[in-house]
This record gives sequence, C-alpha cells and structure tokens, in this order.
Amino acid sequence: MTTPAAPEPPIGGVAVSERPAESQVLPGGWVTIVWDDPVNLMSYVTHVFVTYFGYSETKAGKLMLKVHNEGKAVVSHGSREQMESDVEAMHAYGLWASLEKTT
Amino acid sequence: MSDIVRKGPMIKVRLTEYEATLLESLLDQFSELLAVEEPASVDDDPFVRWQAEFSAAEPLDHDDPVIERLFPQAYRDDPAASAEFRRFTQARQRQERVGQAELVMDALRASDGGRRSVQVRVVELDQWLKVLTALRLSLAVRLGIERAEDAEALDSVDEDDPRSYAYRVYEWLGYLTEALLTHA
Repeated sequence: MTTPAAPEPPIGGVAVSERPAESQVLPGGWVTIVWDDPVNLMSYVTHVFVTYFGYSETKAGKLMLKVHNEGKAVVSHGSREQMESDVEAMHAYGLWASLEKTT
Repeated sequence: MSDIVRKGPMIKVRLTEYEATLLESLLDQFSELLAVEEPASVDDDPFVRWQAEFSAAEPLDHDDPVIERLFPQAYRDDPAASAEFRRFTQARQRQERVGQAELVMDALRASDGGRRSVQVRVVELDQWLKVLTALRLSLAVRLGIERAEDAEALDSVDEDDPRSYAYRVYEWLGYLTEALLTHA
C-alpha cells in the first residue's frame, strides 16, 4: 500500500471549493429548497447534507436546524440543471425538496 | 433489536426473527407499490426497453398519496414543469428504489430470518437508509402524520387502536435508522 504524493499547490494558493449555500445566491439563478417534514430524523437530514453536498458537519447541522425551525432552507444554488439533479437526489433520500428561480 | 456493532467495513445488526419477518413483509409491500406492468413483448435491446418505459406516461399512480410523497413535485408552483421533471426522472428513481429494496431484502435473507446477524456494508449504508426512510414515509402517509403534533397524538393512542401497531413499527424503523447512523 502507498500514500499519494503531496499535490503541488496551484499558483496563488490552494483553492478550497465548496458550494456556498444561500449566502451568495445571485438573482436570476436557481435554488434547491428543502422543506420541513415531521418524519425525517434530524440526524438523517444532517447526514444527507454532509454526504451529498459534501458540507461540513457544522454547516450541515446549521442547515438542518434552519429547515426544522423555519420550515425550509436553501441548501444549494446554481443552474437549473444542477438544481434539478440536487432535487432528484434529495427526493431519492426521501427529503422534501423543490427548486425555484431566484428573483 | 438486541445489538448493533461496527466491524471494519460492516455494520452487524442482530434482529429478532419477528423483526426480520416484519421488515421483509414491509419490503414486499413496498416493492409491490413500485411495481409497474412490464410491456407484453420483452425486447432484448435495452434501448427499446428504456424507450418503452420512458414513453409509458405515469406508470405509477400519483393519486396514491404514498407515491406522491416518494416522488414529490419538483416545482411547487409549476405543475407543467413538475410533470416534465417527472417524465425525465421517475423511471430511474423508481428502478433505484426497487434495486435498494432488493439489496436490503437479500441481506435479510442471508441472515436466515434473524438467526445470523444482518450484514450492512458501510459502502451500502445510504441505500439502507433510503429504504428505511421510504418505509417510514409510507407508514407516515398511511398514519396521517403531517405535523409533529400528529405523531405525538399517535404516541398516546389506545393499544386496541389499529394505528397503534403501525405507529410502533414506524418508531422502530426510526430507531433502526438512528442506530445505523451512529455506527456509520
């Protein structure tokens, strides 16, 4: 067994890519919204946000609480095609999700 | 459920014979719900088969609230866009769900009715969680759980109430889901 060689950092530093949630939603784009339901377990919803979106436990937990306390939360944003595949994935996990255009 | 342990790439779950039988029966009902009529002539060409399934508009009964919950509207205020989304995604989603139910069923059969521990491969954990969640959602729809208060009310119904048993099954599925998550 081996370990991979340390990757060369790209010029200008290391870029960490994580899709931001609603903080940077641009008008005219699309968002995926997860709606609260009384069935899904809080731990499960957090697990889905970590597993599917690659969010940190902290961020996923905050989003889950937002869904729980406010009834819904924007969990991702991007093109309509991206949001359709996010919604499809959320449905596959049994989460109640929809997409809409931002104004 | 007597115990659940993580051993390397496996989560081992001990189910009683009763629990294993119960889960198998729930899976049977679930697969039946998702079954669609196969076209009369089965073509060997996968593309032809795919096309046949694709063109079969709405093979699932969306008047059934359970189907509607498992395959919800993607656009809240746009039924036409929701129908289009469904046309492109539902066949794939349905097949994935059927496949996941088979995976869980195979694991249960391998446990010989709970006589051996049920082996959940950690790489397949999400498929298990999706199945258990779908079963809970189905029971929740049948039990009329739409708000948190509905579940609380069911928690205190009389033992003779037919909903009492279904609710205990619903709670048990939640317990199993939580246990799997903590051993992930």
